[in-house]
Amino acid sequence: MKRAITIAAVVLGVALIVVGIVYWVEPARSLPGFFPGEEAHSTTHHVKHGIAAFLVGLALLAFAWFYSAPKKSKPAA
Amino acid sequence: MISYWQAIVLGLLQGVSELFPISSLGHSVILAQLLGWNISANSNFFLTFLVGTHFATALVLLGFFWSDWVRIVKGLGRSLRDREIADPDARLAWLLIVATIPAGILGLALEHKLRSVFTSATSASIFLMLNGVMLYGAELLRRRAPVDEVGDADERIAERVGWPQAGAIGAAQSIALIPGFSRSGASMGGGLLVGLTNIDAARFAFLLATPIIFAAAILKLPDLLGSTGNGVRGQTLVGAICSAVTAYLAVRFLMRFFHTNRLTPFAIYCLIAGFVSLLYFVS
Repeated sequence: MKRAITIAAVVLGVALIVVGIVYWVEPARSLPGFFPGEEAHSTTHHVKHGIAAFLVGLALLAFAWFYSAPKKSKPAA
Repeated sequence: MISYWQAIVLGLLQGVSELFPISSLGHSVILAQLLGWNISANSNFFLTFLVGTHFATALVLLGFFWSDWVRIVKGLGRSLRDREIADPDARLAWLLIVATIPAGILGLALEHKLRSVFTSATSASIFLMLNGVMLYGAELLRRRAPVDEVGDADERIAERVGWPQAGAIGAAQSIALIPGFSRSGASMGGGLLVGLTNIDAARFAFLLATPIIFAAAILKLPDLLGSTGNGVRGQTLVGAICSAVTAYLAVRFLMRFFHTNRLTPFAIYCLIAGFVSLLYFVS
């Protein structure tokens, strides 16, 4: 279960970082149809959408990093 | 457009009111209207001007809490290396990150919409009164008596603020997108509700404000450097210097004031100032 959650967080995190980069690079008219903010003929870049996706992606990767850490045994008193 | 005189007045006001829990944007909107200045909170030149004053305020906060930030960044590095959040500095670093994410996302999503809806001085006066109610309510509902505690403030914050509470305090900051509500007021009030004292709540609010104000300023920096900044860069520089001076005095004052005092005086001020302004604008 722990392994599955870690993998899901990593996959989703990487996907969101890629989505963020796509928002920064591509104008609104070239975004895939299922992306929020996609508009035909629009040349604007949705920078804020990109920042939000990138930040959430980073947060998911950080979660996976800590969640998958091996448990450290406490020294005996 | 904005004159140098207006830049000085607004810069001085911005530095104080950004850190005092009394709404900088609300005060800018109300003061501009009271003095008959043709400055809209939603106009491009005013938003560009705000980039400079916000940047100056963030620099002052960073400098004032420099030793805290060094500890926080080192704690963050340690936690990433060891893959565990084992010490108070590391925990405080992650609390700030957890609080900044909802604040950032809500700010990105709502900033334009809220600012374009609530631009009038009348609505800013009403929200200033509600800000007073919010501050007073936080004092009424506080979970810890306002005593002056000894020991490390950052450790107390790390110990008393939980992860969901940090996220909630961060999200509460976005109420400041409405002119009249205060970002520092929302986060200080949130701090009191989760069991911090006034001085620790103020410290957490200022630490929390630094990355958010920096990020907002950097995001809009291209406007200041691009064509939108034409004719307003000089005024912005003057305003930023004025803002830096008053922000430094404000944070220094508040970090002494909250050792022994509460949010109540600011609540009363907001209620009275909002009410008087409202009477003036509707009459």
